[in-house]
Amino acid sequence: MKAETRETIKDKDFELIHSINNGKSDRFYELVEQYENKPYNFGMKMCGNVQDSEDMVQDTFLNVFRYLKDFRYETRFKNWLYRIATNTCIKKKRKSKYAPDRELSFEEFLPDEVEQRATELPDWVSIPSDDLLDDELSRVINDAILDLPEKYRLVLVLRDKEEFSTEEAAQILSLTPANIKVRLHRARLFLRDKLKGYFRNEP
Amino acid sequence: MSHKKHDHKECVAMFKKLSEYIDNELDQVTCDDIKKHAENCMPCKTCLETLRQTVTLCKNVKDQPVSNAFSVRLKDVLNQMINQNPIN
Repeated sequence: MKAETRETIKDKDFELIHSINNGKSDRFYELVEQYENKPYNFGMKMCGNVQDSEDMVQDTFLNVFRYLKDFRYETRFKNWLYRIATNTCIKKKRKSKYAPDRELSFEEFLPDEVEQRATELPDWVSIPSDDLLDDELSRVINDAILDLPEKYRLVLVLRDKEEFSTEEAAQILSLTPANIKVRLHRARLFLRDKLKGYFRNEP
Repeated sequence: MSHKKHDHKECVAMFKKLSEYIDNELDQVTCDDIKKHAENCMPCKTCLETLRQTVTLCKNVKDQPVSNAFSVRLKDVLNQMINQNPIN
């Protein structure tokens, strides 16, 4: 992984953080207003309910304020925020009941007989990709994400929902890029199977 | 993934790399191999395109804004914290 240095990192938030760290504490709200929806939606994907997600957002921003003076400008603020949000989320989840953690094996997602006999692509491949999804399909996808074991869910949400790069996700989760790729692929295959099942049974 | 037209191992090897292919994280030679294979192997093409669509649909799930009530509550909590522990 190529380490990014302070000289190469450019982030629109650095000036604001400098200002807060130089005594303008009230400007912290500008950061909160800018980012509060991000950890909230991350929390909703990770725990699936409003109360836990709001608690997670509150704890995340309390920690951000607490540790902002230690921010070293070596990574984008957004990445640092997600590192804190991820740790907060994992701590909270350990106190509650969620989808049990298990390993996903690659073999369980190999194509089934229907796919092996396929002569044309299934219809759902043609759903327009430039629109936001309707509520029903969004619910199906969110439920499927919540069914993922946590370590795969974290990677999928960071990569495919929050659109961090492989390297950024690796930094946020303290994993290797290779590990991120393996988990992401299995998580996507898991989600693909769920969607396949949904569209096959769709009335 | 056993079907007549292609070697089973080749299909499985491709299946393992589909996410990296979608993310443009493979070298050109491997990309070309996968593209060529998928053009001639319907099961593999189906896997590739359904996986690609899975990623797209996941990205397009609507985000929800925090409620106004929570936003106000969050500011109150942070306000207390900031007043008690101003950054100097």
